[in-house]
Amino acid sequence: MQFRPFYFLKESLVSFKKNWVISMAGITTVALSLLLVGAFMLFAFAMNNIIKSTEQKVEVVLFLAEGVPAESVEALQAEIISWEEVQKATYVSKEQALGRLKQEFKESDMLEMLEGNPLPASLEVTLKNPQKANDVVDRLKGRSEIDDIRHDRETVERLFQVTRVARWFIVVFVGLLAFTSLVLIANAIRLAIYARRKEVAIMRLVGASNWFIRWPFLLEGILQGFIGGIIAALLLYLAKVMLIDKIKGALVFLPISSSPQEFYQLIFALLAAGMFIGAAGSAIALRRFLRV
Amino acid sequence: MIRIKNVSMSYKGAHRPALKDINVDIDRGEFIFLVGPSGCGKSTFIRLLLRELIPTKGDIFIAGHDLVNMRRWRVPLLRRNIGCVFQDYKLLPNKTVYENVAFALEVIGRPTKVIKAQVPEVIRLVGLEEKLSNYPDELSGGEQQRVSIARAFANRPAIILADEPTGNLDPASSSGIMSLLNKINRTGTTVLVATHDREMVDSMRKRVIALEEGALMRDQQRGVYGYEE
Repeated sequence: MQFRPFYFLKESLVSFKKNWVISMAGITTVALSLLLVGAFMLFAFAMNNIIKSTEQKVEVVLFLAEGVPAESVEALQAEIISWEEVQKATYVSKEQALGRLKQEFKESDMLEMLEGNPLPASLEVTLKNPQKANDVVDRLKGRSEIDDIRHDRETVERLFQVTRVARWFIVVFVGLLAFTSLVLIANAIRLAIYARRKEVAIMRLVGASNWFIRWPFLLEGILQGFIGGIIAALLLYLAKVMLIDKIKGALVFLPISSSPQEFYQLIFALLAAGMFIGAAGSAIALRRFLRV
Repeated sequence: MIRIKNVSMSYKGAHRPALKDINVDIDRGEFIFLVGPSGCGKSTFIRLLLRELIPTKGDIFIAGHDLVNMRRWRVPLLRRNIGCVFQDYKLLPNKTVYENVAFALEVIGRPTKVIKAQVPEVIRLVGLEEKLSNYPDELSGGEQQRVSIARAFANRPAIILADEPTGNLDPASSSGIMSLLNKINRTGTTVLVATHDREMVDSMRKRVIALEEGALMRDQQRGVYGYEE
């Protein structure tokens, strides 16, 4: 039995046009579930980038109180370096801190408004084992030289936690949506089969091969999933251009950029997923309603 | 051509079998009437030959193919060699006469060239060359049944099965249909007609297979209908 793509595609399109209202239900849910997956993936890419760049930074930053004499800072630095968990401790003066800030914000004019130097001097402590950060922080708490301790590890862990919870939530939610789209597409295909039951009966009677009968319905389902995927991809692209790129422009210090390559891979994956959902939906309908 | 050996058929939940221990041999080119009252098993007989059903017992062979142990994907190939005609014509209302006949060839993947040559020829054979572009609802019952016969014969099958082909027709149209089936039979095609039509069976004097309550009552060359109803 030869495969005749144009014949099958024509049949699918005719049938698709005939009951497009029902098909729209399937397409919409596919688009919605894929849009959610895509949005979450973009979010996860950004999170990953933030986590990565935060991890590369120092784990513990000690902001020094104003007016602490240089000798006690040096003594503190020496003491910290002597601890076995610590790899190094670097002194950052007020001027250096301001210089870094200017570097980060060189594309924006926000710093024009800044008067004087409000930034404190700090000691940046890098640990041999980041897991030990809490011990080090506990030991340093309450020291008079230190005004505040920033512990990036906590931020990282909180980010991890947020993404983990979000991931589960999204997996369950997207699973439900994907299931719904599957059912809706199966239903649309069932109606398409019902609308053409006479033709199908005659095709069986005169000996059309089973796949010849199945292909148009299968293609119709795949087409619905594919259109859903395209809609999701378009919306995601709009969201990227209008939201994420804008945010990135405004919050230059947040490393949320994802590479365009990642984005196109994501789009491609969404289209493939849409077609898969469509194929699975029509396969269910074919199994149940088209005994060939 | 067709060999039916010790075939019994029981439907699930039925209190008696639809067919009981049937043995029939049909040669190539025969014309057979399958007669009997409603519910005697005629339709089951035809559905078994189309392999829409598989017998609960016994064997069926068509042109050497074992229908009982046939793989599912081969069933369409079997059906391409069997033309089917029904009481209700089963034409597609949104297709013309030409398209209805062409459809049967399209869906089994015959090349367009072959379709364009064969369809007008077979429509001429059934005498509807004037009505090529008419839709089924513009035709009389007899004409619709002729289209259905053209469709069944378009692929030149070795066998034509007709289930009550004249059941909805007046006597004049009926005899037209019967003589058309006879004409097709004379081209060497095996024709099996299940019917109630006593006069037709009696006048044509063909082989008659009579069923009653699922059992084979009579298998007679040049037979008659033979029942008082």
